[in-house]
Amino acid sequence: MSAEVLVFDILGAIAVLAAAGVVLARNPVHSALALVVSFVNVAAIYVILRAEFLAAAQIIVYTGAILVLVLFVIMLVDPDNLPEFHGGRPVQRLLALILGLALLGEVMAAILTRTIVGQPGPWSPQAVAAVGGNTQALGRVLYSGYVLPIQVTAVLLLAATIGALVLARPDTPRVRALVRDTATISLAHPRGSEMANGVEPALPALAAGQLKLEAGERTLVMAKSGDDFLDQPVWGERHQS
Amino acid sequence: MANWIFLIPLAPLIAAVVNFIFGRWYLRDRAHWLAILGVAISFGVSVAVVAQVARDEVALSQHLYTWIPAGDFQVPVTLTVDQLTAVMLLVVTGVSLLVHIYSVGYMHGDPGFYRFFAYLPLFVFSMLMLVLANNYLLLFVFWEAVGLCSYLLIGFWYRRRSAAQAAKKAFVVNRVGDFGFGLGVMLIFVHLGTLEYTGVFAQVGALPQGTITAIALLLFTGAIGKSAQIPLFVWLPDAMEGPTPVSALIHAATMVTAGIFMVARSWPIFAASPDAMLVVAIIGAATAFVAATIGLTQYDIKKVVAYSTVSQLGYMAFALGSGAWVAAIFHLTTHAFFKALLFLGAGSVIHAMHDEQDMRRMGGLKRHLPLTYWTFLIGSAANAGIFPLAGFWSKDEVIVGAWVGGRPIVAIVGLVAALFTSLYMFRVVFLTFHGPERFDAHTVHPHESPPVMAVPLLILSVGAVFAGFLGVPPERGVFHRFLEPVFSGHGAEVHHVSTATTLTFGLISTAVALAGLGLAYAAYVRGAIKPAVVAARLGPLYQLAYRRWYFDEIYEALIVHPLYRLSVWLWRVVDIGIIDGAVNGVAGLVNFTAQRWRRVQTGLVANYALAIALGTVIIVGVYLIVGSTLFQ
Amino acid sequence: MSELTATHFLTLSAALFIIGMLGVLIRRNVLVIFMCIELMFNAVNVSFIGFAWEQHSLVGQTFALFIIAVAAAEAVVGLGIIMALSRRLDTVDIDQVHELRE
Repeated sequence: MSAEVLVFDILGAIAVLAAAGVVLARNPVHSALALVVSFVNVAAIYVILRAEFLAAAQIIVYTGAILVLVLFVIMLVDPDNLPEFHGGRPVQRLLALILGLALLGEVMAAILTRTIVGQPGPWSPQAVAAVGGNTQALGRVLYSGYVLPIQVTAVLLLAATIGALVLARPDTPRVRALVRDTATISLAHPRGSEMANGVEPALPALAAGQLKLEAGERTLVMAKSGDDFLDQPVWGERHQS
Repeated sequence: MANWIFLIPLAPLIAAVVNFIFGRWYLRDRAHWLAILGVAISFGVSVAVVAQVARDEVALSQHLYTWIPAGDFQVPVTLTVDQLTAVMLLVVTGVSLLVHIYSVGYMHGDPGFYRFFAYLPLFVFSMLMLVLANNYLLLFVFWEAVGLCSYLLIGFWYRRRSAAQAAKKAFVVNRVGDFGFGLGVMLIFVHLGTLEYTGVFAQVGALPQGTITAIALLLFTGAIGKSAQIPLFVWLPDAMEGPTPVSALIHAATMVTAGIFMVARSWPIFAASPDAMLVVAIIGAATAFVAATIGLTQYDIKKVVAYSTVSQLGYMAFALGSGAWVAAIFHLTTHAFFKALLFLGAGSVIHAMHDEQDMRRMGGLKRHLPLTYWTFLIGSAANAGIFPLAGFWSKDEVIVGAWVGGRPIVAIVGLVAALFTSLYMFRVVFLTFHGPERFDAHTVHPHESPPVMAVPLLILSVGAVFAGFLGVPPERGVFHRFLEPVFSGHGAEVHHVSTATTLTFGLISTAVALAGLGLAYAAYVRGAIKPAVVAARLGPLYQLAYRRWYFDEIYEALIVHPLYRLSVWLWRVVDIGIIDGAVNGVAGLVNFTAQRWRRVQTGLVANYALAIALGTVIIVGVYLIVGSTLFQ
Repeated sequence: MSELTATHFLTLSAALFIIGMLGVLIRRNVLVIFMCIELMFNAVNVSFIGFAWEQHSLVGQTFALFIIAVAAAEAVVGLGIIMALSRRLDTVDIDQVHELRE
């Protein structure tokens, strides 16, 4: 048993245990911390597998960016919103375990009976070293054969950013709720009755004092759409409340 | 001029299309200008083309494009003007032009004005293409197209139930004939492999006699439908539901003569089959006689003129059946003039009487409508065959043609029908224009039609008087010499008619026509004969004619009613029970299962994730079994 | 077992993946489910990189790189959804959300 295998086994065992911790921890913060441990160990395994650049990317993106984001969200979510850990649904749990074990059995059977077909690629350790290391080699591959996918990925990230902005925008129902129960002056058509027969209905003539009186009785706001306005009393109707 | 032939159909087509597209919103009451212009261009070019055909005595043709190029089978769209087509061109464009002008006055103020002036040029286009075609397929296509226009125009006032029914009836009845026609065209193609006239006529003699007869009879079936022969004439009188100018143009002067034209056009096929010729002659004579008897008893002014049309078409048919091709076309031409004149005159009367069509509520209109009276009188006299008007020459020639063509019985039937023709035509004249005024003078104020309607009447009456002189002297007139090249060759029989025969028949038919005039005068002006008494004396015979020989009732009982019952059965049992039942059953089944299955749709993401995991396990398992060495 | 072979990291990958899958199936907290999904991404990456190592090819690493990018995008959107869920429905319990129903 070579040292390489020993190190791999240790790192792998820690990663698996940490992953189990993610699933089993009650507190989401603990889950997140276990996830960090798992990711770091996986990154170390990447180094063993001579993927130094990806190891760095793993740590920067996952532990650096995503995990911090997750922790922020955990902070932002109201603790009252978190579900009970010991929920019901035993059937679901049992089924999940059965399926997990079945999949594990299948995958292990596949792994243990596998045979390698196909020829080794050109990037032997010597070749990688010849161009200056893993990062340089990966760069050559990426920017020779994968230029378009990289650009598509850039667009994807942009779209994700915009999507996140849209999702994170403050919601409007509360604003709408504010508008309710108030009198309205609208630039829209009152119940579609305006311009019937091509004639604009004459607004009820208000005495000089009356306008002030009515305005004192109810708040005047601007309706933003005809839908809002339909809930409102029409001109001349008394507010019934 | 050959390169300008395409303008003849194109000008009305453009007018029709523009009126269709822009008529409703932009042209409205100005729609007639374009239509008249289009038809006038068509008329002008036709005159020029015909002049050249007459001068050079050769057929002109213009190849536009090949419609169906399929290996050996070629259907070219080639416009051909030979002498026969030339006659038809002048008749169609000339009468159309006059009817268009007349319609400006007649249709004035109608909400469908633009529509009328879109349909009418469309009809002119179709009719012109029909006569210009140089093969049977093109002929068939535009044969159907004129049927469509006829349908549209009969049902022009589609809000009127009777008009819609009449349009439907015309369409369905014509379909029966067209089916036969279509079969005939197919038979030609199957046996000869070509549909072009020249090719067909050159080869048709080589076919077995039975095949030629079958082809000829099938083609004639189409003519029976289109030209309203027995037993399919029932649609034409009903077609009078359309506006009167339409009746004049389509259901008297042009479209109904398409059948006659087609038979004349295919004369080498018919000439090669004596049996088919006999059938054509018998059907024509029967039609001439039956329609004339019906015409005697009707009271609707347009119906009488319509039955007169059927009767005259019968004359043309038996002329064809007797081999008197030129006589048939000659009668077609003169008939176009005087029958269009009669219809337009009748339209003028109806217009003046505020849409009253029953002659029993007319009378004494001579004082109110002098111009209409005189033109209508000319038309009636021409139709009755009074010397020396157009109808006399052509009808006489038709009868002589039947006599010398070896069909003396047909000729005698024609003479009897001529008596009836004279009788019913003058009956219309006397009932409408003479005698006491039988309408309510307080509510109806007859008035002469506007000039735009009067001018076509005058022009047509000039034609009705003088068109006959084209065929003078009989058998050797301008008309005959002009048409001679078409009807020669292909083993055509030429009958030489002696002057004595011509003179004899001229005298007989004049006597017959005058006898009809005298009878009508005695019955409807002097009152010497009481028509009611005669009708009562004749009893069943009168009823037979008055009820139009019970054709409609027989069709109703034998065809329409059983079909209706079958349709209702198909609707109630097959359509609702089986087809709808199957469709609704499938939908119900889907709905039923869906209602059960929708419970799977819990909306809980956890359940969906579980399903995904299950799917993963299954797929990986399948891969394992198929791809791995574990199980091999 | 004296040398490092593909079997090692494939086993590791399978273990990580199935643990992540179990987490997704069992847990009710959307945040934890989200983290488990990231775990599954990582398991896949391990496979790719392992194969790349075994086959002397950099294509696997390239794939892994793209997966990391996609995972980042997914994280942004997923966390945005979680925030929206918490704000609008006042819960992050997967069983309390059945908006997908009908």
